[in-house]
Amino acid sequence: MSDFIDKLRAIVGDKGLVLDAGDKRPYLTDWRENYLGAALAIVRPATTEEVAAVVKLCAAEKVAICPQGGNTGMSGGATPQEDGREIVLSLTRMNRILDIDKVGYSMTVEAGVVLKTIQQTAADNDRLFPLSLGAEGSCTIGGNLSTNAGGVQVLHYGNARNLVLGLEVVQADGSIWNGLRALKKDNTGYDLRDLYLGAEGTLGIITKAILKLWPKPKDHSTSWSAVPSPDAAVELLSGAYAASEDNVTSCELMGRQGIDLVLQHVRGTADPLAERHEWYVLMEWSSARPPREGDNQVNLRDKMEAYLGEAMEKGLVLDAVIAQTEAQSKALWALRENHTEASKKEGPSIKHDISVAVSKLPPFVSEGLAAMTRALPGCRPLVFGHVGDGNLHFNCQAPAGWSKPQFMEHGDAISGAIYDLVTSYGGSISAEHGIGRIKVDELTHYRGKIELDVMRSLKRALDPDNLMNPGKVIRV
Amino acid sequence: MPDTVIAPLIPTTPVTPAILEALRAIVGDKGLIADAAGKQPFVTDWRGSIVGTAAVVVRPATVEETSRVVKLCHDNGIAIVPQAGNTGLMGGATPWPSHTGIVLSVGRMNKVLNVDPVGYSMTVESGCVLQTLQETAASHDRFFPLSLGAQGSCQIGGNLSTNAGGVQVLRYGNARNLVMGLEVVLPNGDIWNGLRSLKKDNTGYDLKHLFMGAEGTLGIITKAVLKLWPASKDVAVAWLAVRDPQAAIEILSEAHSASEDNVESCEMMSRNATDMVLRHVPGTQDPLKADTNWFLLMQWSSSRPKTEGAEGMAEKMELFLADQIEAGRVLDAVIAQSEAQARNMWKIREGVAEAGRAEGPGFSFDISVSVSKIPEFIDKGIAAALAILPGLRPHPLGHIGDGNVHFGFSAPAGMDRPTLQQYAPAVTRAVNDLITSMAGSISAEHGIGIEKLDELAHYRSKIELDTMRTIKRALDPKNIMNPGKVLRV
Repeated sequence: MSDFIDKLRAIVGDKGLVLDAGDKRPYLTDWRENYLGAALAIVRPATTEEVAAVVKLCAAEKVAICPQGGNTGMSGGATPQEDGREIVLSLTRMNRILDIDKVGYSMTVEAGVVLKTIQQTAADNDRLFPLSLGAEGSCTIGGNLSTNAGGVQVLHYGNARNLVLGLEVVQADGSIWNGLRALKKDNTGYDLRDLYLGAEGTLGIITKAILKLWPKPKDHSTSWSAVPSPDAAVELLSGAYAASEDNVTSCELMGRQGIDLVLQHVRGTADPLAERHEWYVLMEWSSARPPREGDNQVNLRDKMEAYLGEAMEKGLVLDAVIAQTEAQSKALWALRENHTEASKKEGPSIKHDISVAVSKLPPFVSEGLAAMTRALPGCRPLVFGHVGDGNLHFNCQAPAGWSKPQFMEHGDAISGAIYDLVTSYGGSISAEHGIGRIKVDELTHYRGKIELDVMRSLKRALDPDNLMNPGKVIRV
Repeated sequence: MPDTVIAPLIPTTPVTPAILEALRAIVGDKGLIADAAGKQPFVTDWRGSIVGTAAVVVRPATVEETSRVVKLCHDNGIAIVPQAGNTGLMGGATPWPSHTGIVLSVGRMNKVLNVDPVGYSMTVESGCVLQTLQETAASHDRFFPLSLGAQGSCQIGGNLSTNAGGVQVLRYGNARNLVMGLEVVLPNGDIWNGLRSLKKDNTGYDLKHLFMGAEGTLGIITKAVLKLWPASKDVAVAWLAVRDPQAAIEILSEAHSASEDNVESCEMMSRNATDMVLRHVPGTQDPLKADTNWFLLMQWSSSRPKTEGAEGMAEKMELFLADQIEAGRVLDAVIAQSEAQARNMWKIREGVAEAGRAEGPGFSFDISVSVSKIPEFIDKGIAAALAILPGLRPHPLGHIGDGNVHFGFSAPAGMDRPTLQQYAPAVTRAVNDLITSMAGSISAEHGIGIEKLDELAHYRSKIELDTMRTIKRALDPKNIMNPGKVLRV
């Protein structure tokens, strides 16, 4: 084995190798600390050529590889197995922005660039890179693309895969596929790009990407509305597309339970409305066109006010506020973004990242709430999510005072009830977090044999020795 | 087809009388066309330039029938050419002359199964005609954006299998961006049910995108869940005389924010292309007398109706054009004041193909480069073509927002077609070499089919071709799905 390590050192140098047990540790556990794996070495190549040479070496020596970006995934996809026979291949040294094309609205980056750096670079050039999620300060773009990340702006801009023009990928045999084409249209054979995006590193390692950019928004409006039901939320959004001239960039639904937890556990938060309501919608509209000064221009805030007024008349909205300042807008967003933290402080919970067709969301919510309380009377449903994507975090908070082991005894019953219902709705059991390790068995259980067989055929064809992130997504 | 193409090796197992009867037992007499005259339209491509053969044309009425037909062919090693509206430009839906298997036409599966206006989606069978789908969406106050010349006869299954483009790609994306879910009959006859109307679904490999654009070589799309958009309520169309292609892409770059991201189409036309249309297409009028070699047709549209007193699309466009004239990019411009004026502008754009035929012999390349490289490509491409055949008359135009140029040429005055054809291979090589050196695509929207089989093999890296072949072999080990298209296995 020391022979293998020497060969790795010959490729990446001492700077590119982490062998010390203490230094290795952060690479071996996932962000949620569900798993603690083991690895022969952490290998940190500095270039695509080094990645290719490492993969070629591993292919020759039959050593498996766990590719890793910022290691912020929710499903354990970037954590190695416990048997210690893999290397972790970290992309974090490949962190250069290679090119910005303002006129062509694109940016070429290496896989290890931190998402926030990309957002900032775009903004410095009067452009927007819309991918936005909780971990943006530490997640890296290679991981975002490999997991097809979601976030709060999917509604308007799409998932991570929609933000990509071209990719460079080191394939399982160590060959470099150069698909770095900055083309909006290219009908020349199979769409390899979309196969690697979302494959969670099981088919190859993304080393570079050409990202799409958008104009930077110059006019915003944020509102907080109490709505009578999820049904009303869906209808409110449905009409908002036209009323905003297709400028709805976020639309988040939250139940009262979540708001109560946030108000209780997170300092500096306040209920924006005087009365308690069952359901709330946080909506953001934004546009790249600055309001012109001087003439009687209608900006987005005026348009939103008119629209919410109409919605109130129709009974779709019970009460609402529109942020008048940047600080007010941030305060509204804080109520949404602190759900995960507040839930953690309250005690144990089980998370379900599900999606259904947007119009099926209301019946799903009522049936899902019933199913959850049937599975464990006294549990506290905690439901929030992205209405426009049909994506809900359909979580379950333990009854007050329960310990984690006591609660987890009911885990399978609760998750089983929710996933069965999702499947009966033709929905997805993993809308944005991916399969990784945590949902491998659920995927096998809920997807048809035919679909699994096609995925296995692809995996076996592109990675015949099963060396790329083995045991993730699908069992071969 | 190109004379130089050597036919690929494809399975040639014959359809025996026993298999013919087995097919009949699945689809009935209504689903079989065996006589030569009946088969003729199914074995000839739309342009009439490629003529193949087939033992029989099979037209299943349901996905179950499709599945059973494919399974029968799979078990017997019989090749299948899937076909929808048969309007493709690359011969992807036309059998090779050496083909001895079947053509599987999806045209009888033509039902709209569900429209969900609140969820902005529509579930359809693959044989639905595109225009029917546009009209169905409109009748629900919704918009299905795919729009192209053949929309009155092309079918959605073919549009998705070729990842079709068209004039609204700039805003809505290619066909693959308009789809949420698919149902596909796989090469072994299994039915993959990926008919999920989900905007988010991170559960394993993205099979949907693999089947779209594969031109029927990996399976047969039988149903799709399509995305819908709000119907347009406020539209402005303008015809701009612009300084040069560089100015054109700068104008578009700034138009995104000035229109609040409401640029729907942005088509650049050379003066040669415009003049050719005005010469040959009756009823077209020059919208603008301007001393320039380049024009832009720009359409902005919003789903929000213009309200009394408020600024609509036309007012926003007017302000924008004034800024652009001041910046020296636009020399002169006119905004359509009536439906008839807007139609005239679009008629000039859409009349180019017809005018090109009337003008005489010529050829055209469907290429794309990154948007900012368009001006350089046009300059170098014209120089390269003229170096081979001086006197060629270039009439480029294109969807500049997509980086997609239809790079067309008419023969030098007085030159006949056979003489021009002598030069075509050299010009093709020069243009495609240039595109490749600029990291562009030799087929932006029309696909590969039969026509560009060898061009793809020439220009794509061995690594990429190997990966594609590996996928093809994994999913279709017997090579029965549209063999000899896109790739030689």
